[in-house]
Amino acid sequence: MNKLKQAVDYFVRYLKPYWKGLLFAAVFTLAGTYAQIKAPLYLGDAVSGLTKYLTASFTPGAHASLQDFYKALVGMVIFYLLSEIGLVLSGLVISRISSDSVGEMRLGLFANLQRKTIRYFDSHQDGKILSLFTSDLDNVFNAMNSAVFQIFSQGVLFLGIIWMMLEKSLTMALVTMALSPFAVIVALSIVNKARKQIERQQQATGDLNGYINEQLSGQAVLLAEGRQQASVEAFGPFNEEVRKASQKGQFFSGLLSPLMQGFSLLNLAIVIFFGSWLVLHNGMDKAAGLSLIVVFVTYSQQYFQPISQLTAIYNPLQLAITGANRIRDVEEKPNEVNGGKKQAGPLKEGVVLSHVDFAYQPARPILKDVSIDVKKEQMVALVGPTGSGKTTVMNLLNRFYDLNGGKITYDGTPLQDFDLTSLRNRVGIVLQESVVFSKSIRENIAFGKPEASLEEVKEAAKQANIHDFIMSLPDGYDTKVTGADNLFSTGQKQLLSIARTILTNPDLLILDEATANVDTVTEERIQAAMENVMRDRTSFVIAHRLKTILSADQIVVLKDGQVIEKGSHAQLIAEKGFYSELYYNQMVFD
Amino acid sequence: MGLLITYAKPYWKKITVAVVAVTLMAFSTLAQPQFLEKMMSAIIQNQSDVILKNGAFLLGLALLGILAGITGTYFASQVSQGVAADIRLAEYEKIQSFSLEQVQSYSSANLVVRLTNDINQVQQLVMQSLQMVLRVPILFIGAIVLAIWTLPSLWWVVLLMIVLIVLSSKRIFAMMGRYFGKIQHLIDQNNTLAQENLAGVRVVKSFNQQGQEEQNFAENTAQLTAVNTKIGYLFNLMFPIFMLISYAAIASALLFISTSIKEAPDQLAKITPFITYLNQILMALLMLGMISTFASRGFVSLKRIAAVMGEETAQANEEGQVAIEKDAFLTKELVVDGLTFTYPKAEEAVLKDLSFTLAAGQTLGIVGSTGSGKSTLALLLARLYQAEKGQVLVDGQAIEDIAESDWHQAVGIVMQKPVLFSGTIEKNLRMGNPEASQADLEAAVSAAQAADFVFTYPDGLEHEISERSANLSGGQKQRLSLARALVKKPRLLILDDATSALDARSEKRVQEVLEKDFGQTTKVIIAEKIASIIHADRILVLDEGRIVGSGSHQELLEESSFYQEIYQSQKGKEGDHE
Repeated sequence: MNKLKQAVDYFVRYLKPYWKGLLFAAVFTLAGTYAQIKAPLYLGDAVSGLTKYLTASFTPGAHASLQDFYKALVGMVIFYLLSEIGLVLSGLVISRISSDSVGEMRLGLFANLQRKTIRYFDSHQDGKILSLFTSDLDNVFNAMNSAVFQIFSQGVLFLGIIWMMLEKSLTMALVTMALSPFAVIVALSIVNKARKQIERQQQATGDLNGYINEQLSGQAVLLAEGRQQASVEAFGPFNEEVRKASQKGQFFSGLLSPLMQGFSLLNLAIVIFFGSWLVLHNGMDKAAGLSLIVVFVTYSQQYFQPISQLTAIYNPLQLAITGANRIRDVEEKPNEVNGGKKQAGPLKEGVVLSHVDFAYQPARPILKDVSIDVKKEQMVALVGPTGSGKTTVMNLLNRFYDLNGGKITYDGTPLQDFDLTSLRNRVGIVLQESVVFSKSIRENIAFGKPEASLEEVKEAAKQANIHDFIMSLPDGYDTKVTGADNLFSTGQKQLLSIARTILTNPDLLILDEATANVDTVTEERIQAAMENVMRDRTSFVIAHRLKTILSADQIVVLKDGQVIEKGSHAQLIAEKGFYSELYYNQMVFD
Repeated sequence: MGLLITYAKPYWKKITVAVVAVTLMAFSTLAQPQFLEKMMSAIIQNQSDVILKNGAFLLGLALLGILAGITGTYFASQVSQGVAADIRLAEYEKIQSFSLEQVQSYSSANLVVRLTNDINQVQQLVMQSLQMVLRVPILFIGAIVLAIWTLPSLWWVVLLMIVLIVLSSKRIFAMMGRYFGKIQHLIDQNNTLAQENLAGVRVVKSFNQQGQEEQNFAENTAQLTAVNTKIGYLFNLMFPIFMLISYAAIASALLFISTSIKEAPDQLAKITPFITYLNQILMALLMLGMISTFASRGFVSLKRIAAVMGEETAQANEEGQVAIEKDAFLTKELVVDGLTFTYPKAEEAVLKDLSFTLAAGQTLGIVGSTGSGKSTLALLLARLYQAEKGQVLVDGQAIEDIAESDWHQAVGIVMQKPVLFSGTIEKNLRMGNPEASQADLEAAVSAAQAADFVFTYPDGLEHEISERSANLSGGQKQRLSLARALVKKPRLLILDDATSALDARSEKRVQEVLEKDFGQTTKVIIAEKIASIIHADRILVLDEGRIVGSGSHQELLEESSFYQEIYQSQKGKEGDHE
């Protein structure tokens, strides 16, 4: 059980700081449980006291007194009170500890993710990583809240009741427990069966939801092609599978609670039946006999409670173990390597890529022997078909990935000799698909420099040509951007991210131009913003626009990971190679 | 509610069995203390035969309870999942009869939730109802009646206990309710922070903002933890408070019995059954609380589903519509007359009184800035939207009057955002024309310039497209959705910025093929780049929903300053560099 050990390690790590609280909770649980088990004995004594009183009252000459009854009643009240006080105190401590420690787990997971490599994020779907927060941590929290605490308290209760029963009457104790091994076996096999059925149910539900999602997202196409009926027909089998799988899953998972209630009833019947028979046939004193039955009726009910509780938490516990393991898997993935200690200063000479080789997967090289030499304040346009490796160059300059061969130098120093933070402070990027966060516009622009004043933010926005647009919004720079809204068009998002980059004033700029769905007006704004951001900076631009390419100091044409042409526009046109063909093809106006 | 009844009706037999089983289980629970009382009296009176007889009853009753429990669960799951599947199918059918406007007014993401999450809630509601809704009232009322019947003088203990528990749980639930609202909001925020951090991981790293991000996340998490703790506290207080109330009831019952035990000695045997009933009342109250949360969620979902089911949809009414053979479709002209369209909730019309005529077989280009109404026009021409005013006529016939199936066979549209479905390429291509031959498919693939990559797959057209077309690039998706429209050999082809992700050379080839092999087809091409429509027979320039220019490329260059501006901005200043 390596997985179990890993999960236990994980829980121990986060719970260790709370050992005092846990100890406190354990002591109060023990005390409370003790009182809880003890109380029924007083209830029994009370009944027995009443019986004695009654018998004495009808026996001439005997002294009838309720003294014993009162004593027992007071004892019962005190012990019930103590039991609830103990359980409340430990419960409060536990709920505090579980929410605090899960909060720390949440934060720990987030902090851990901040240190992972880009390779990790590129090779794992966001949705899957996100489910660590939404589903796995939730499962852990649920288990912490109920299961972990309950295993302890219910376990104590269970053992305590057995002990008490044995002390009271061996025979009756055995009678009370006789059914339980059978009940546990049945319960566990049902839990197991339910888990398998639920897996099938989840699989079927996942398939169905996937189908629904895809079809409805493409509803416009379905309508345009007149495929509604076909879509309903294909829906049928998915729906049927869910129906069948869920009927079984629901049956088995829903069976546990009524079955355990049923067993509890059966057990109680056995206890009452056998107890009464025992009292009558063993010539037991009536007062003692009635009290025995009263006590064991209560114990029988209490005894079954932990059994049903413990079987019920088997599933949440499994989920929590899986969750803890998934989170631990993330911890074990490699972190970003900081590299050397050198601090990157302002760029003085330039950036040189020499004989760079790179592959995301060893079998599929992406860049082969790529050499590019950029002098300070020059602009290089990277041009080439999709998949030629343009974006990869960008990934390497910012050290999102490390090279397989060759080297990239910043003022003569290889990138990996720099402290990563200092390097990234010098390098700014503008992505093709701009990222906008659910914050105010001001916070979005000041993302890389949270301490920036409003004046600085406005200045950056002006240079990025988006100030006017922002001012046209009712709340101006304080406008909240929310994830789904369409406040910004694709082009405006790019302007926003240009402003964000301008504010941090990087020495080296990497810019991936947005392509699709940019209208003419915005296109011109982007053009101007790009000129502003590139002025006096050294820049690599993954270029899609002709205008951008034409204004480059140097054009590098990439194809299949190799540099096939390099030079100024005029030189490349004169070469009549790939670039010139590309150029004339874009100009199909005449 | 009416919806639920309609869909539950076919299951009435199974529902009856489930309800009977659950009722039996409730009765066996209630009857047990009665037998206990008889047994205790029998002990006092030394009646061995009574004990044997009642003991056998007791055991039989418990076994019946177990059996009823299993049966009840079985039929409850059959019914609840059956009803859920039936409603889901009906709802899906309903949605498939929606117009595009209806789908968009809900948004497809919202409809997905109504088909998945809401159905689940309703399923839970049905399941819980069958398992508990009858059982709990029976248990609750039964236990009260039996408790009072057992010891009538103690009626006030029963009543007081119920009142106290209801009052205290109301108070606690009210406090919890407030925190639940808060926690949902905080969890959403927490997820958003994590999600945006993941989506923007490159930005975060390149701006060195990991620390700041962590701090923001920590602040939110601290709030979340605080509220979680409070809810935990309340939960932990609730149960002990209930238990204390019931213990107090037991203690006062005992005390009052002791004062009158001499007058009514039979009370002695009744103490334990009475206590058991008090416990059953407590349990029933707890279950009642649970049901009410389930039920309120379930009813909200039911309402959301009912809203979808209650939408009015245009019946597929082919009567009174004209059937048109594909070859006879659009042989003369396409006329757009006074077309006006406003989006729901929008203040201003997106298309304003648009009119133009296009002769069959001609190519119409449409350019204009974002928001000029180009895509809306495409959807109106494809009959996916209905005009608010004005009409579209094909050979003099209003498009609404043409039989829907004939229409879809004759018209192809390629939308701005290419959508493909998971499954083989072939399956996708055949969507609009299931009878297409293998040769037709291959021809369409080459025409859309997709042959380059499709036929490098070892399995060619059999190649599987994965979910969300994750294994295709933007350009590949566009090519395949273009091919899908071409497989139909449409009489009218509408392209909405459908070649934007293609490189210039491929785009030029697509234009050539459309010109050569689809000469009979009337084409409407919407584009951002003038290069895409430069050879069109006629070009419309749209601005804010109106036609501001119309003519050939040359004519527009001479006449329309708006068009010139666009052209210049795209052309680049090649003169400076040559």
